[in-house]
Formats: sequence, C-alpha cells, structure tokens
Amino acid sequence: MSALTFELKHTPDQRLDLSPLVPATLAGLNRKEIEALPIGTTRTKLTVGDAFKVKGKDAERLRFDGTDDRCDNIGAGLDGGAIFVDGDAGASLGAKMKAGRIGVTGGAGVLACASMAGGEITVRRDVGEQACGVAFGQTMGMKGGFVTIGGDTGALLGERMRRGLVVVGGKAGDYAGGRMIAGTLLLRRGAGRYAGYGCRRGSLIFLEKPKDILPTFSDSGVMEFDYLRILEKWLHEQGVRIRLNARARRLMGDMAVLGKGEMLILV
Amino acid sequence: MPELKVKGVTIIETFAEAFPMVGTRVIITAPTLEWAMISARTMTGFATSVIACGAEGGIERTLSRKETPDGRPGVAVLLFTMNTDKLQTQLRNRVGQCVLTSPGSACFAGLEGEKSLKLGASLRFFGDGWQMSKVIGGRRYWRIPVMGGEFVCEDKTGLTKKAVGGGNLLVLGKSHEAVLAACTRAVKAMAEIPDVITPFPGGIVRSGSKVGSQYKGQIASTNDAYAPSLKGAVKSDLALNVEAVLEIVIDGLSPEAISEAMHAGIHAIAKGGAREGVTHITAGNYGGNLGPHHFHLKEIVG
Repeated sequence: MSALTFELKHTPDQRLDLSPLVPATLAGLNRKEIEALPIGTTRTKLTVGDAFKVKGKDAERLRFDGTDDRCDNIGAGLDGGAIFVDGDAGASLGAKMKAGRIGVTGGAGVLACASMAGGEITVRRDVGEQACGVAFGQTMGMKGGFVTIGGDTGALLGERMRRGLVVVGGKAGDYAGGRMIAGTLLLRRGAGRYAGYGCRRGSLIFLEKPKDILPTFSDSGVMEFDYLRILEKWLHEQGVRIRLNARARRLMGDMAVLGKGEMLILV
Repeated sequence: MPELKVKGVTIIETFAEAFPMVGTRVIITAPTLEWAMISARTMTGFATSVIACGAEGGIERTLSRKETPDGRPGVAVLLFTMNTDKLQTQLRNRVGQCVLTSPGSACFAGLEGEKSLKLGASLRFFGDGWQMSKVIGGRRYWRIPVMGGEFVCEDKTGLTKKAVGGGNLLVLGKSHEAVLAACTRAVKAMAEIPDVITPFPGGIVRSGSKVGSQYKGQIASTNDAYAPSLKGAVKSDLALNVEAVLEIVIDGLSPEAISEAMHAGIHAIAKGGAREGVTHITAGNYGGNLGPHHFHLKEIVG
C-alpha cells in the first residue's frame, strides 16, 4: 500500500495548521473525509482538499510533497507512524510528538520539535528559533527522543530541555541550551553567544571549540569520557557518521544556577 | 539392558538433579581485555556455591569491541542466586566492590529479562550528588565521577527466573591425572556454550557434598559414597579401581543451555577414551524429589 500523500497544489494564502494530518486522526477516514478536514487558520475556510492533492492509502505512512514554511504543525502530537516531508516545514514541526518518525528534506520554522517526548525527527536543512524548546502551553522543552538537524539552528535551541538527544550538523544560534534542565545537545559547528545560559544539568557537546564561553562555566580540564564512546557507537548504529573520540575538556555550569550541567569540548 | 558407552567410557544411566535459580548477566568493559578480565574475575571470585558465597557466578565469555556498548573489550558475567532479593544484593555488592573499583571499568546490562535489577540505579549514590544520568537510545546510563575519571554504569539489567543451577557431571577414573585432564577439557568445551557458567575453581569441584553431617550446624559434608579413600568403610558407589572423582557443576540461564553444556562436556570427557583412564561418567541427584529439573545422561549423550 502506498503512503498517504499530500501534494501542495499552490502556495497557500494563509498559514496552514496541519496538526490533524497524523495517522491517529486519519486512520479509518476515506479520501472525501480527509479532504474535508479543516486546516485553515483565518476566517477564510480552508480544507485539506483545497490546498492538497491527496493520493495513496496507507495512513501509517504519510508523505507531504512540495510544502513550504507556511505549513505549520506537521506531525504535531504524533503518536506513532512515519511522516516524510519533501519540502520545508513551518512552525512547530513535530511539537509535542510522543512516538514515530518524521523526516524533512528541507528546513523547518520556529519551535521545531518543541516539547517532543519521544520518537525521531530528522531535518536536513536549517531550523528556526526555539527548536526543541518549549511548545505553547508547556513548561518544559524537549522531554525525550532523538533529533538530527543538518543545517544551522536559530536562537534558544533546546530551551528548558528536559531529556533527549539533539545533533546539529551546522551552527547553533545564541543561547543554545539556555535554561536547559537536562538532555544532550551535540553541536558539530559550535554555537553563537551565551551557550548553556542558565542551564541546570545537561550536556552540550562541542566538536569545535566555541568562540564564546560564559564566565559562569568553570573548567575541569581534559579527560576521557566513556560516555562519549557509548554515544558515538549508538549514533553510528543510527546512521549518524560522527567521530567523537573519548577525550574532551569538561566545563561545568551554569554556576549562576545549579551548576551541574557541562560542556564537553572535544580535543 | 546393555551398558551405554562412549569410546569405552561407561555412561551411568542416571540423571543430574538441578534447581530453579534466578540469574542475570552483566557486561564489564575496560581499556583492555586484560583489565576487563581482572574486574570480572574479582567480581566472580568468591562465587562458587550459594551454600556459603551468597551467589554462584562466573565468566560466560569475552566480548569483542563490536559486541560492547562502548566499543571497548569486554567480558560477560553470569550471576545466580536462589531468589530475586538475594540476587539484587549480590549484584549491588559485587559490582560496587569489584567493578566500580576496577581501573577504567564500565558496567552494562547483559540481559533483557522479564524483570529488572538495579545496577547503576543503586550504585549512582556513590556519586554523592555529582552523578549524571544520560539516556541514549532509550537506555539510561549513570556517569559517576571517581578518581580514575568516570565510572559509567547502566541503570538496570534484566533477570530471568527460568535459570537453572546444579547441572552436573561426575567423572570417575583410574588416576587423578586422567580425571583432571578430562574435566579440564570438558570445562573448555562448555565455555563455548552460551548462557552457562561453571562456577567452581577452573570449572571443577573436587569436594562434592551430601546434605547434612554428623556434626550439628554443618549443613553439608563430604560425599562419602564418592570418596575413593572410604571405599572399604562406607557404602561406596565406586569400583575398587577408581582413584579419583571430580565434578563439574553447571549453572545456566535456561534448562536447554544446561543440556547443551552437559552434552558438550560428556563428549569432551570421553574424547580421550577409556585408555586415558576415565572409567565412568555419572551425575549427582537426590533421588529426584528435591529438584524439578532432571537431566538424564542417556538422553543428553544422544
């Protein structure tokens, strides 16, 4: 059975709320019922059928073709199944997601993966501000799961993150890991200013030495971390080719708050 | 009925009587295989019998870098006790005193059991608040700061209640040298079988016991029916020409694993043939009323 596919007909004249287009909602609906689902966000009524050409049948595997940055809430609250996006995603991609997989060939807007609790999201290009941060109405950021971002991120990556692993291929913006509670950010190309600002626990792993380190992070020197070996091996098993080497400089902070977080800067 | 013989060695038609146990597996890694072995040997050093050691344990096998969670050389260790509470206590004490203390070590779960035992979940308190929890791929690891760096220990490991303890083979022969050589060969063959260990020194026990004693408070005493020096004085099970008897005790995660190990063991013992000096292979039991697992040698040989 082929994936249930939503092909964007033309650039929408309003932002789209695609949160109903998840397997749990679509299961058991026929094409007409799916096409009648409202996805508009203004007073002008807009349904799935107005914006998308719907093809395929398998509601456990969804595919979005040609989407752009106005397509919000793709995979929001996802609780299983797989979503593939050939295009860009708007705001709140996979926000509050619990399980399943999302893959995006383009980039994503603000609040991507915000407050997600489980599952896996891969975004090939850049993501906006507050990725893996705090979703609307939530008190904590990402609470679990695994996120891979191929490009750069906006500011406040992993804000108030509680658990989970985020790998960023590009450069993270300012305040990466800001007010982080726990969890892991692995940053291949460093971050902007104020990384780890106000973080209580959690790990920021830098493959490249960051240019700007907060004075409230204190140096514990270089040593071997078996944890990095476990992480590297697991990432390899997930298809993320990365060489961590076990030796790293450990800085502990943010001493302005609890101070039990860390930066591991690979040497 | 004709006697069952393998290469001239008589297989007595009897059975090994074994008992249900709870068992677990942990993986110990270290910078080198040598140090992983040191750690594992220390952890299982005083773990020959539940009679007085609290647990029975041993090294199951070595693990290549590809097989361990951190990509370092490792060793798989099996540990058995009679109930879950005792296994939990033994695991905590043994990993805490022998693995946590061992230079460069790390300790991981080795079993996906029906239930779990605390591993790092209890040892983390050694970190005095500086321990860090990390979840990778749904598995929780504790990073505990120690003088040698960090001790990484997985939060939990699995346990199985289907484990079996006390599978055994008794090897009778015309000389101590012959019996020891045959048993050494058997232990080596059994080491290739997954899910089993032979917990006694070098896998071999030379002082098989019977239950009880003429002395008050002595819960086990020498198996006089198999002590060659007492042949003339007690109701002995030994022929006059038998000079030595050695036993191999096997603990395993399943009855099937014990059967497989006993099969490999019998054939390894008999490999030298009667000419080597081994006369009989038999097994220890208590009449069949105590242990629910009966491993009949006749069936196992086949």
